[in-house]
Amino acid sequence: MNTTRTITFTLNGAPVTTTVGLHQHLVEVLHAQGLTGAREACAQGLCGCCTVLVNGIAVSGCLYLAVFADKADVKTIEYSPEGKLDAVQESFIECGAFQCGYCTPGFVLMVRQLLDEQLDPSDDDIKHYLAGNLCRCATYPEVVKAVKLAAKKRKVAA
Amino acid sequence: MTPFELAEPRSLREAAVLLTNGGEPAHAIAGGTALMLMMKAGVFQPKRLVSLRAIEPQHSEINVLPGGGLRIGAMATLRSLERSVLVKQAAPVITRTLKTLSNVRVRNVATLGGHLAHGDPHMDLPPVLTALGAHVRTLSPAGERTLAVGEVYTGYYETCLADDELIAELIVPPQTGWRSAYFKITTRAADDWPTLGIAVALRMEANVVREARLVVSAATNTPTRLSAAAGVLLGATPDAAILARCGDAAFAEVELVGDVHGSAPYKQELLRVYVARAIRGALVDRL
Repeated sequence: MNTTRTITFTLNGAPVTTTVGLHQHLVEVLHAQGLTGAREACAQGLCGCCTVLVNGIAVSGCLYLAVFADKADVKTIEYSPEGKLDAVQESFIECGAFQCGYCTPGFVLMVRQLLDEQLDPSDDDIKHYLAGNLCRCATYPEVVKAVKLAAKKRKVAA
Repeated sequence: MTPFELAEPRSLREAAVLLTNGGEPAHAIAGGTALMLMMKAGVFQPKRLVSLRAIEPQHSEINVLPGGGLRIGAMATLRSLERSVLVKQAAPVITRTLKTLSNVRVRNVATLGGHLAHGDPHMDLPPVLTALGAHVRTLSPAGERTLAVGEVYTGYYETCLADDELIAELIVPPQTGWRSAYFKITTRAADDWPTLGIAVALRMEANVVREARLVVSAATNTPTRLSAAAGVLLGATPDAAILARCGDAAFAEVELVGDVHGSAPYKQELLRVYVARAIRGALVDRL
């Protein structure tokens, strides 16, 4: 019974080859690579703490078999090609859109996706899009403000 | 999760063969979001899985059929349905339903076929597609067959699909003259599992209902047609009195079951109230 596989994927721009258990999910494999930005918190795909981009699309890493990432482009919150904070991260800091910070990587990745899809989302758009991200410190009002600020910053930069 | 083997066939036909030719029956996995939850909880401990992710790309396509119906490949993600202009034009009730069907990340990965084959009575699309009169085409080594979506479900997490039978595509008939709505009642977040789901499709001539399909879900073991309530609507113009009679008929004709999302008596009262609201929602069917 062959229950492992050697997979190759691009992780934050660098090639990775590793052997995974076929039953392992993506967050487990990322942790083995030393990346802890994606965390398994609710373990049910509800909280967003395990958000990872696979081929540019946000997935719940804790519900995603690692073997499905074979040959894919995988990006996590650690990906920072310019080595500095982006408009979304700056906005979260400026608006105080977190307290303990545990959920922040997932929020930041999801907000980037939202702003890639919609330049100027309404409050409703934001709440709807981020319904699958939970902040137990309840910084939701600040998160909505941060998204709007990030949208403005992106427009100015563009 | 416990270790398992994984096959990754390149065609749907090959996948159907692999499901039973390895001795012990294997289970198909597409997006995997629902199965992962079951595997993590230990209630599903497969020895072999057959991934459908490498099968032919046409099984992810969404097409309009002559006459205005839809053909949707089973591997289309829920997110691709949600964002499809074709789906929005042909059956906006599907687009609206997807907005609160779990969250963006799950919809990015979960597939239509997986959603329909899973058999969890809390799924949102089975009642909607039953109301729309949709069918699935399935494929197995024994051949192909077409089933009404409402016929797929035989019990709690039970379907009539054979061990080696896979849903290949969904056919939604043209909705010309029909108006539809799905009301999902949740007790926590809007995108939570429903405590009750009610789907309504009405064929109207002016203000008169000529055909009606009402389906209740999430409080029954399978999506269940409400024939008595639908009968109240036939030939009638749905005013407040008719809607009240409809709710009473629904209340009387089906016995709901409770779960962690609500007790049976609570759901039974919800049904009486929300049948009328869902019919009103159908009358103003639009995005």
